Amino acid sequence: MTAISEAQPAAHAPRRRSVLARLKGNWLQFIMLPVALLWMSPLIWIVLTSLKTKAEVFDPEAGFLPQALNFANYPATLAVAPFGTYLINSIIVTGSILAAQLVTITLAAYAFARLEFPLKRLLFSLFLLQVMFPIYAIFLTNFITLREFGLINTLPAMIVPFVASGYGTFMLRQSFRQVPQELSDAARLDGCGHFGILWHVFLPLVQPTLIAFGIISVVTHWNDYMWPLLVTNSDNVRTLPIGLGLLAKSDSGADWTRLMAGTVIVVSPLLLAFVIFQRRFIDSFMHTGVK
Amino acid sequence: MATVILQNVCKSYGNRKTVHDVNLTIEDKEFMVLVGPSGCGKSTTLRMVAGLEDITAGRLTIDGRDVTDAPPQQRDIAMVFQSYALYPHMTAYRNMAFGLLKTTRLSKAEIDGRIREAAEILHITDLLDRRPKELSGGERQRVAIGRALVRKPKVFLFDEPLSNLDAKLRNRMRGELKRLHRELGLTVIYVTHDQIEAMTLGSRVAMMSKGELQQVGVPMDVYMRPANTFVATFIGSPEMALLPCRADAGGVLGHDGFAAGVALGGTELPSDVILGVRPEEVSFSRTAGMARGQVERSELIGAEALVEVALGEDRITVRSAVADAPEPGEQVGLDFDLARVRLFHAGTGQAIDRQG
Repeated sequence: MTAISEAQPAAHAPRRRSVLARLKGNWLQFIMLPVALLWMSPLIWIVLTSLKTKAEVFDPEAGFLPQALNFANYPATLAVAPFGTYLINSIIVTGSILAAQLVTITLAAYAFARLEFPLKRLLFSLFLLQVMFPIYAIFLTNFITLREFGLINTLPAMIVPFVASGYGTFMLRQSFRQVPQELSDAARLDGCGHFGILWHVFLPLVQPTLIAFGIISVVTHWNDYMWPLLVTNSDNVRTLPIGLGLLAKSDSGADWTRLMAGTVIVVSPLLLAFVIFQRRFIDSFMHTGVK
Repeated sequence: MATVILQNVCKSYGNRKTVHDVNLTIEDKEFMVLVGPSGCGKSTTLRMVAGLEDITAGRLTIDGRDVTDAPPQQRDIAMVFQSYALYPHMTAYRNMAFGLLKTTRLSKAEIDGRIREAAEILHITDLLDRRPKELSGGERQRVAIGRALVRKPKVFLFDEPLSNLDAKLRNRMRGELKRLHRELGLTVIYVTHDQIEAMTLGSRVAMMSKGELQQVGVPMDVYMRPANTFVATFIGSPEMALLPCRADAGGVLGHDGFAAGVALGGTELPSDVILGVRPEEVSFSRTAGMARGQVERSELIGAEALVEVALGEDRITVRSAVADAPEPGEQVGLDFDLARVRLFHAGTGQAIDRQG
């Protein structure tokens, strides 16, 4: 009976629904398009400016688009500072931080999620406290510690302070706690110890969280300016953002075209990675609810 | 062979004792069901056998070997969990292979052989490439059982494996488990809160309550001769009616609703006893009957009717033919099958054994 009574109105529904659906879809696009443009506008502006001549940037008559595509800014930028070295340094620093963090937060999060030990709650509170502490508040102590170890003006100076992450530990602990206890039990019966359980059961199941954390970590440390500036003073250990800084405070004032070209160089590896792994990234953030 | 012996096994969490002095022997090829209400310690006991919980005090041997402190993988056991606990990121095949890869030195071909064999037995050969989320509840259940089977362990542990299935499927899986036990000659310890599962599956059942063993025996024996009022009411549906009575030396029981004499065969009765009557041990009387009461409720459940009758303050359920079922409000006479009814001490709840 119910099947018949439901089927009848459905016969008329498709046309009405499709009009509605189209309208609804359009509405969404009307809203989304300007928002997307707004978000992309700085990037578009950067790319366009990097292709202009110096004179064009300050010419009030000049249009939004460059009159001629002028790629000369790119080689010129690379000539100002050793961007190749900076790029390699950035990759080493960001990569090392991520690799070290993944190890430390995984182990710490597993301990907090699944093991019982004295002072567990207190220790976890301290981890959370670290998240709440502004990084600038511990710059001085970190700096002194590194100087004592003789690490100032080396690549490790930019890596060591960040090898652990309270935030990452917290994120991962929450994910680990979602993994059913019976799965660990089953793994124990299947002959796994703690490391086996972590490797074979927990890590595959929290991949989205790991990716989400990885993105946050890479973006943060790739773009970090303050700390690398503080602990380095020679070209061979500096990272890309500092290279940009050099362009911005040249004696003759900011060299906008080269600065923009440099910015494109700095952000393009991340942009490229994002475009390639876009779907994975979005899935991860949807899964973990991190924004 | 694979005999499991628990000797004075206890479990405490801090000061809270959850399992008290359990002494239980599970014979080789036996299907032992641990049954009891939730929180009675049955799952904890099973987890201690599995090695997932430490044994606070006591001794556990499997096949003559003391495994009280052995880690799970050294006990030669396999377990099927309530939620199945299949690894979500592995296919059914990998799920079954994983434990073998970790705990044995079998070759790939041998592992494959075992998995194919188990899959054949469980009719899951077509499902081996699927991941758990692509399987239905019943299929996951089979894969979980398969994961245990391929291990060829001495003892199989089941922790409420059927409670996540719907009634029809549960029925079928019950038959399936029974078949596996019979055909493969498995030694099984099976935990459930469902007394029907306990009655139908168990070679023997062990009733637990509040962390203590109440009674161990073959299902019909536990049903016919419950050791105390707890077992009496837990096993059997609808449950046994418990009627508090005064007893005199001659074996005559006095109750608000009736007076009845029971054969004692020399046993002395305390002054206060509880008369336990199962629904099939009481019938409607054509004459005045031993007791008279008023019908409160009458449920027709197909082949038979369950009629609840008020006897003074107490209620008693009568199993009767549908045609004989009286209407609510009717006054009826009841006859007890006095040879079969059970008597319990009113104070302790322990059964009183009547000779003869």
